[in-house]
Amino acid sequence: MIDLDDHLPAIAAGDAAAFGRWLAGAEPRLRLSLRAYAARVDTEAALQEALLRVWQVAPRHAPDGRPNSLLRLGIRVARNVAIDELRRCRVAPMDDAGLEQALAAAEAGPPRAGPDPLLRRVIEECRDKLPGKPAEALAARLAAAGAEPDEELAARLGMRTNTFLQNFTRARKLLAECLERRNVDLGAELA
Amino acid sequence: MSDPVDDEADEGAGGAEGGAPPPGDDRAALIEAAAGAYRARDPLGAIRSHPAWHDLDEAGREEAFERARSLRALEAALDPDGLSATARAVLARIRAARDG
Repeated sequence: MIDLDDHLPAIAAGDAAAFGRWLAGAEPRLRLSLRAYAARVDTEAALQEALLRVWQVAPRHAPDGRPNSLLRLGIRVARNVAIDELRRCRVAPMDDAGLEQALAAAEAGPPRAGPDPLLRRVIEECRDKLPGKPAEALAARLAAAGAEPDEELAARLGMRTNTFLQNFTRARKLLAECLERRNVDLGAELA
Repeated sequence: MSDPVDDEADEGAGGAEGGAPPPGDDRAALIEAAAGAYRARDPLGAIRSHPAWHDLDEAGREEAFERARSLRALEAALDPDGLSATARAVLARIRAARDG
């Protein structure tokens, strides 16, 4: 079983690269744990805030002896960030039966395994077949890696923001169709 | 493959918060925008919600959540270190804070 706590000593020592390796495995589980809040909280913002807090508290975190203790802490932190946001917006707190489920899942199944070079190659082959503007929009989003708003990416490509988003949508759909023809189910393979 | 989109589409996706859902094309653009990983910060450094997310109804927000899940998985699959745009953005903020 993958235990992401293997990265904990290095993370606690301030090694951001080790935190990156932890993130690669932990992020899908943490994101999924916020699904119950998706209609009322911007879970992308909540997740990023939670991840920054996990980094900050990791040096003081004491593992409980069971696997993936930092991941379980992260699930609690993410939930608290979401609840804080609900309170800030004066939205009534909701019944959160999903927390225990998410915590149990963090212990039961392995987090995401490392990068898959074969899968990457198949995606890249499909990406190479994208027409110009959709390919440009996809490449811009990937290169920005969440550091720049779509408005800036669109302006750099000489597109209006809506046009940029339409081209990105086209790229995403064409990529999904290509992967489906190659029997790669994005939902299953990339989850 | 299909033709790309030329730059002649309408600008200005957006329905009013709490109002009627935006028309189809605008709604699709809002979902695509909200599913992106970029999030601005407020003056105190807290990460802000995406403006497009506020313009979506609950069903649209849930669609944006699922879209974000698959996009982050795609980004991670394409990244040599297995990192999504979310992970890259968080690491960039950590390194920027550390490096002053």
